[in-house]
Amino acid sequence: MADDVTQPRIGVDEWVSSVEEKRERYRGPIGWLRRGWDSSPPAARLLVFVVPAVIFPFVTSEGNLFRYGLITLLYALLGLGLNVTVGFAGLLDLGYIAFFGIGAYTYGYVASTHANHHWPAELAIPLAIAVAGLVGFIVGFPSRRLVGDYLAIVTLFFGQAFVVFVNNADRINFWPFNHTDLTGGANGLDNIDPLNVFGWKVNTTKEYYLFTLGAFLLVMILLYFVSGSRTGRAWKALREDPLAAEVMSMPVNKLKLMAFTFGAGIAGFAGAIYGSVQTGAFPGDYDIGLLITIYAIVILGGAGSLAGVIVGALIVNGVPELLRDSNQAEWVFYTVVAILVITKVRPWQKLVTVIGGTIALGFALHAIADAWFPRWTAGEANAGRLAHWVSHWMVLPSHPTQLANWAYVLTIALILVLTLLHGWWRTIVMIPTIYVGAFAWENLLVENTVGATRFLLLGALLVVLMNARPQGLFGSARVEIV
Amino acid sequence: MNWSLFWDLTVSGLTLGSVYALVALGYSMVYGILKLLNFAHGDVYMIGAFMGWFALHWLGGPINPSAAAWLVVVLMFLFAMVACGGLGVVIERFAYRPLRNAPRIAPLISALGVSFFLQNSALLLFGASFRDYDTFHLIGAKTYNVGDVFLSVPQLLTIVSAIGLMIGLTLLVARTKIGKAMRATSFDREAASMMGIDVDRVIASTFFIGSALAGAAGVMFALVFGQIYHFMGFLAGLKGFTAAVIGGIGSLPGAMLGGLLVGLAESYATGYLPQGSTFQNLYVFALLIAIIIIRPQGLLGKPDVNKV
Amino acid sequence: MAEQPLLDLRGVGKSFGGLACLSELDLHVNEGEIVSVIGPNGAGKTTLFNVITGVYRPDEGDILLDGESIVGLEPHKVTDRGVARTFQTLRLFLNMTVRENVMAVQYGRTKSTVFEAMLRLPRSRREERQIRLNAEEKLSFFGQRLVGYRWDQPAYSLSYANRRRLEIARAMATEPRILLLDEPAAGMNPSETHEITELIGQLREEGKYTILVIEHDMHVVEGISDRVVALDHGVKIAEGSFDAVATDPRVVEAYLGLRKAETK
Repeated sequence: MADDVTQPRIGVDEWVSSVEEKRERYRGPIGWLRRGWDSSPPAARLLVFVVPAVIFPFVTSEGNLFRYGLITLLYALLGLGLNVTVGFAGLLDLGYIAFFGIGAYTYGYVASTHANHHWPAELAIPLAIAVAGLVGFIVGFPSRRLVGDYLAIVTLFFGQAFVVFVNNADRINFWPFNHTDLTGGANGLDNIDPLNVFGWKVNTTKEYYLFTLGAFLLVMILLYFVSGSRTGRAWKALREDPLAAEVMSMPVNKLKLMAFTFGAGIAGFAGAIYGSVQTGAFPGDYDIGLLITIYAIVILGGAGSLAGVIVGALIVNGVPELLRDSNQAEWVFYTVVAILVITKVRPWQKLVTVIGGTIALGFALHAIADAWFPRWTAGEANAGRLAHWVSHWMVLPSHPTQLANWAYVLTIALILVLTLLHGWWRTIVMIPTIYVGAFAWENLLVENTVGATRFLLLGALLVVLMNARPQGLFGSARVEIV
Repeated sequence: MNWSLFWDLTVSGLTLGSVYALVALGYSMVYGILKLLNFAHGDVYMIGAFMGWFALHWLGGPINPSAAAWLVVVLMFLFAMVACGGLGVVIERFAYRPLRNAPRIAPLISALGVSFFLQNSALLLFGASFRDYDTFHLIGAKTYNVGDVFLSVPQLLTIVSAIGLMIGLTLLVARTKIGKAMRATSFDREAASMMGIDVDRVIASTFFIGSALAGAAGVMFALVFGQIYHFMGFLAGLKGFTAAVIGGIGSLPGAMLGGLLVGLAESYATGYLPQGSTFQNLYVFALLIAIIIIRPQGLLGKPDVNKV
Repeated sequence: MAEQPLLDLRGVGKSFGGLACLSELDLHVNEGEIVSVIGPNGAGKTTLFNVITGVYRPDEGDILLDGESIVGLEPHKVTDRGVARTFQTLRLFLNMTVRENVMAVQYGRTKSTVFEAMLRLPRSRREERQIRLNAEEKLSFFGQRLVGYRWDQPAYSLSYANRRRLEIARAMATEPRILLLDEPAAGMNPSETHEITELIGQLREEGKYTILVIEHDMHVVEGISDRVVALDHGVKIAEGSFDAVATDPRVVEAYLGLRKAETK
């Protein structure tokens, strides 16, 4: 709820501010943790992250290191850059991923067999950063006067223009660029060299991970210094109230441009590393799916919070990875549902009703289906113990598609209806919602966890976050001038 | 000067432009009332195209429909428009209404989330392969012509029905009570609610109408161009709001004008500019940038006066 | 005094659509003066401030600060030249701390770049210390109200009167030559109003600021002004000492029954 600044407060200063202070204090064990966190020095907070991060590659497999470690770090690095643009300065840059791509392609152009340049990383990476930053400047310049929505459109379109461009820039054929192949077109830029940093050839996943970790920490520390500097404060002021900032000596347009360029440069850095990790740069990697993913990371972590980016990246990258294997996916689903129900349903009578009711409903329906529609329970269950229990509880048809599609739509409708209900009605409707949702999960969503499921969950996450907790996990609750 | 090419491009541009204009209208209406860019609008258009497809197949399919072709087409339109209108209302109620007093960035992000959710739900439910309207069997391949100007039936249908819908909308906004309420709400929401206008209903109606138009646009596009797929809303949405911005966001005539301009620009680019068909989207983007720099309020919009 | 005024508006006009918010306005403030602008609502007073600070560009006329025209300058440049303002509706950076609010506005008076800050070069560290000290100094101007633990509290936790004080502290931190205060006593109870009146006097005596004030509360206007200017519908209708203006029949008429003893 926004504070109404024009209402004179009743009471003396001291009283009012002590009331406010009480509101600020956190409660319970989480509160204790948060207060501890807030009061520890930044170096200590950094160690909480660095120590496990450094140990990680030595205790896990290479595949896991790549998926959960390296990619998470790269996404987090991207998140740091987006945090400057969106979190610090409040600018909605929807073409951000294009700068990621520009970094990758630039690095690839000067360090691959494509044009036969083989620059070492200490030259190629700064070039990638500079080119990305420069393009950021060029895009930001005409847009610097635009208000939020317009900037969003222009940048969104720019991001798309980038994808179209790199997809087709192998066939540029008008004067003076006859027969130029800049980017390898739809097949991408191939054979990008691995990083060659001052002679150290980065070859293994572990080495890439450590290099990226170093890069991430470097950017994070630099950004931390920036946030406490005059420019950082000016960006924050710009986000709060651009008009007031402008009148109070801060050159708002110039600051917007700086934030934009900065963010673009960081994205370019991440892009160069990514290009060398993938040993190639492909147009499909730099599209809207990744944009939404990084936005989810920044928003979930809390726009403006550096620590939040790490947690956001761990969750947004980690959870879909967990979902890849359908067995694990089942576990994840039921665990999440269980946690949500247990923490949100009070008092215990209602909790028991929901859990008991859902289980009973399941077995009942299964028995009915078994007796009258044997085809409906003939489907394949997954391997594993959980799946074994589930196959007695859940109806698993042999050809689920039509029914599962309807179940999916029905689940969404029921969830929406749930938000409108209160009291016992809500508790009762929860039962079919969970069951139908599980049905949809088992028969439809679980098959698509690599593609559609992951992305639709991200989309839903954004909507839910904005409604429930717009400041994310680590952001501070904001008071706004409406 | 190859006139026949010119007329072909013009007809094609007007057809495409009609589709974009309908999409742009939805954007402009919502922006006028809520100052929100509804990113999910393009995906509502996509759902409209799919709803039309389902209607077509529930009525027997393009090759052997269970009713006369013209009736089937009308029913497809109606079904898509009603379904999309309802979808728009649901989206507004759950994704935007709770955020009405939140800072501007919150509903924008929510809209992005909805857009992505719809796209991928469509992917989940309908699969990744393209579906076809098979207009050839449904309507036939007859073309009409006036001199050098050739129009196929779907093209003619699109242009005419778009004009019809736009006239209907203009009348609704200018003459009816709900139209007046919409205009009042877009000027000053608080004042309107104090004058007894049910703002929630007005906003819901705006979303219904805008989304219904998008649904109609989806069916039209599919009738002319044949194929539908889960991602088609994204690009159409982008062009739709480019059109709305070019015409002046918040202005209904502006949206119509902008749509036609974008359609024509895209069409002429494919015909006349170097490597036009490959880079056509880039040319439209360049047009957008030019307008935003030269005349940020769009062609028919009013400059935004910031009250300090 | 034959010297030029610090702030000089000559024939300034500003219209929105067909509505003339300011018209042929001549107004000047000499260095060290406190001038009050009064007038009924809609008289164009806030537009006046917006035009001076560069938020709006005047359609006609000129505005001179210390002899140099500031028309057409972007607002942050106007501030750099030495004009600071507060807002009638308070525009603090609510989610930043009290101290940060006052530190942020010193942007125009400092020079270290982002890169110097990232690398913690000596100049940036020095400037940071200076900015911090300066902020604390400006906040201390208000006695015990805005010191100590308050510095680290978010601005939204302040009471209304303290927020007004913070607005003024912020304006002071831009090191202006002239302060434009837009209804500094709005929403205050009588004792707070009295404090503000004293404060404005102190701003001139100790801070050496020249002050242009918009105010409705005639107690305050009477207490502080060297000179009063009355506006109505964008036109100056009276100018002079408080007593002269308060009894001027045109002013009385504009307020429809303004009495000398009017309070909020």
